[in-house]
Amino acid sequence: MKKATAFSQNNMNDFLIKIGGEAGLGIMTTGLALGKYFARQGYEVFGYVEYPSLIRGGHNTYEVRVSTEKIHSSKWKVDFLICLNRETFEKHKGRLAKGAVVFYDPEEFEVKENFAKVEVPVKNFLKEGGDSILFSNSIYLGAVIGYLGGDLEDVKKLLVDFFEKKGKEVVEKNFEYAKRGFKVGSSKFEILNSKQILNPKSEILNKSGGKLVMTGNEGFSLSAVAADCRFYAAYPMTPSSSVLSTLAAWQKDTGMIVRHAEDEIGVINEALGASFAGVRSAVGTSGGGFALMVETLSYAGVAEIPIVVLLAQRPGPATGMPTWTEQGDLLFAINAGHGEFMKIVLAPGDIEEMLELVPEAFNLADIYQTPVIVISDKFLSESFISVEKTKVEKILDSIEIDRGKLITADQVKDKYLRYKVTEDGISPRLLPGEPGYFYQANSYEHLEDSHTTEEAAPRVEQVNKRNRKIETYLQNHFRLPKVYGDLKKAKYVVVGWGSTKGPALDALEKLDNFAYVHFTHIWPLDREKVKKLLEPAKDKLVLLENNSFGQFGSIIEGLGFSFVKKILKYDGRPFYAEEIVESLKSLL
Amino acid sequence: MSSIQEFSGYTPTWCPGCGDWSIGVAIKSAFVQLGFNPSSVFVVFGIGCSGNMNDFLNAYAMHALHGRGIANAIGIKLANHKFPVVCVLGDGDCYGEGGNHFVHACRGNFDITVIVHDNRVYGLTTGQVSPTSEKGKKSKSTPQGIIEEPFKALEVAIVQGASFVAQGFAGDVPHLISLIKQAVEHKGFSLLNVLQPCVTFDKVNTYNYYRERVFKLKEDFPTPDKKKAIELVLRSREEERYPLGVIYKVSRPTYSEQLPQLEKKTLVERERIGNLSRLLEVFE
Ligand SMILES: Cc1ncc(C[n+]2csc(CCOP(=O)(O)OP(=O)(O)O)c2C)c(N)n1
Ligand code: SF4
Repeated sequence: MKKATAFSQNNMNDFLIKIGGEAGLGIMTTGLALGKYFARQGYEVFGYVEYPSLIRGGHNTYEVRVSTEKIHSSKWKVDFLICLNRETFEKHKGRLAKGAVVFYDPEEFEVKENFAKVEVPVKNFLKEGGDSILFSNSIYLGAVIGYLGGDLEDVKKLLVDFFEKKGKEVVEKNFEYAKRGFKVGSSKFEILNSKQILNPKSEILNKSGGKLVMTGNEGFSLSAVAADCRFYAAYPMTPSSSVLSTLAAWQKDTGMIVRHAEDEIGVINEALGASFAGVRSAVGTSGGGFALMVETLSYAGVAEIPIVVLLAQRPGPATGMPTWTEQGDLLFAINAGHGEFMKIVLAPGDIEEMLELVPEAFNLADIYQTPVIVISDKFLSESFISVEKTKVEKILDSIEIDRGKLITADQVKDKYLRYKVTEDGISPRLLPGEPGYFYQANSYEHLEDSHTTEEAAPRVEQVNKRNRKIETYLQNHFRLPKVYGDLKKAKYVVVGWGSTKGPALDALEKLDNFAYVHFTHIWPLDREKVKKLLEPAKDKLVLLENNSFGQFGSIIEGLGFSFVKKILKYDGRPFYAEEIVESLKSLL
Repeated sequence: MSSIQEFSGYTPTWCPGCGDWSIGVAIKSAFVQLGFNPSSVFVVFGIGCSGNMNDFLNAYAMHALHGRGIANAIGIKLANHKFPVVCVLGDGDCYGEGGNHFVHACRGNFDITVIVHDNRVYGLTTGQVSPTSEKGKKSKSTPQGIIEEPFKALEVAIVQGASFVAQGFAGDVPHLISLIKQAVEHKGFSLLNVLQPCVTFDKVNTYNYYRERVFKLKEDFPTPDKKKAIELVLRSREEERYPLGVIYKVSRPTYSEQLPQLEKKTLVERERIGNLSRLLEVFE
């Protein structure tokens, strides 16, 4: 490890930069720019953004954790705090690590406390240049990278990538300001420490190869394209909206049709129409929009039309806290839709699981001809993380499209029956348009040939047929949770699902003798298999959930287990590994 | 050429004398005359007496949720724009429950045909008022008479951007056949509002009521002039008369025509996208 001076307590192999300021001042851009800067230097990065549900005037922050080792979430202690305003400092001084460095403009406010400081004369610079405060973020970007002994040329490349579309002049201007900040930062760096603080680029890059920086929503978008999704519809709703904008921006390259429809009911019904006609289709939304889609999920269930739904959760009820995070819609998702029908719920916990589970969701929707919900949340959907490019390529290359029992006219024997009663519950699906045939996707109960019925016997036959798909799924596609650690030896076993995976894994590294069970295939659940798996840990289960009811916990309790502790958080914020560690240690 | 027989499914269960019978016959006849067969046309049925045609008319079909048929039809059209897509909806279904989809589908000028059975009641739920009921109409749900003004579907469609707006009458099948054919052949969003007596729950808007008040449009119509079209409709309403024919028609690019994605092939025919490396660059 390199020696650092003024902030020798800081572990320069693993540090957190946090930038905060008024909404509208480019905090988002700077956060992502910092993430990309360090990822390009070969570091692992994780970025978490907080912003209120308004465009101007609120407080935005981005925290970017940088590490030489694999990381799964952010960390609590801030090592470098960039304060575009006083509020940032006041809100975060309690989170500053020992030896933390505060970047600020003394003209903006004063820092009386005894922290290491980098005073950046932002206002002065802007006055000299006659420019608006919109360039402050570039000054600070330069300052922090300069302070850490970073590379100005790499900063320039970054700014080109970010601002190229806005024109050469915008790039130049941002770079000029970044350069001035860089000078301030690097002069401090030289005074404090003549050696390189950051690990040399080549060293880490050789170790890990090129990296990509991606949010959960971008992962969804990418893998949806890779899975041959050709129709995506949505109505903007945080935190799902960036899927809509990402896929819409890619339309020219992908040929996908991306629809911003009039409301979420229109959204899912358009997607269902497209799916009926034969193209893989998906929709994305958050709780409120999902609620509007629920009747149509039920239609997809009875008419047996494949559909993939991204449900990116935010805290409810109702409009709730639109830009914050929660896992409060799990039971709603599982139970969504009137009547009884098969529905699959998959919960990715990180970017890699997102890339893997989304194509699986499209396959399962086709195989079982039923809705598949991919449940995410703001924390997973909008946080970015570095991931090796080769790994992403490998996942994407290995995607196999399985359209289930999709048949062509020449495979039809005798008469074609859209809802043919079969042993596995799945009826062969002929795409509409085949000459010589016709059938309906009927929202009423129907006969095998798809005509409406209200007779008792065929009703029971069709219900049983549809229900048999659940059994078929459990036998063929259900996957048990991933187990980290040793369930038998562990003192306690944490049970979780979805985005709590990152903080849980980071917490586990700090603890001896704990294990973690991470569920991805949430519903339907193979009760017997899960029971068997958890049995050895039955007296030491701890529940970890980002909600107040312990929703997934209630499913596990339904299997006859109980928890010695429930770690629940529902303040709109994600878990930090540190708080999980503290909570678990209190058990010992 | 196909035959009416080929399009005929179950025997309809509509009340004897219901206007739905003639609309059903007119749709089948129009399809035959257009050279369609049950495999070459997609039909979306709403929920209502009208939507029950799903079992009486053979076609590749979605029997949608109440109100949502237009959205399904848009999805079908975008996925496979080479097939004609026709919606068979009730006035409650299309203008009430599905009003938002209707209004916005007009804007998009999606190349679909929406045939509305305008019987001014909710037939299937036994006769409550519908959005097109005349003010003051008493029904099970409005024993004191409905307070709202009727929904002005024709005017709304014209204003919202539908490129073909017509009205037919279940009591004039030959004319209706011709209107259905024109509506389906029109490129863009076509609304065909069909005056349909509900003989069971509406004793006011009967065949005779309409026969005394309908009139066929003359040489000036269809017009591409929105003002003129709306004036005609408004004047007719004031006089309690009902124009029959194509009221408004304009040539405007359809939604699909404006999608470069669909220039060469339909969405369903297209090959799977192969190389994703260009997309990955964004994340470097
Ligand atoms: C969401 C929903 N709400 C209510 C109903 C009950 N419902 C069935 S048909 C109908 C109204 C039918 O009226 P209209 O659309 O005018 O068709 P008509 O029967 O008159 O042809 C209603 C309210 C339903 N099926 N779904
Ligand atoms: S209730 Fe009215 S609309 Fe329904 S079938 Fe009978 S007459 Fe026709």
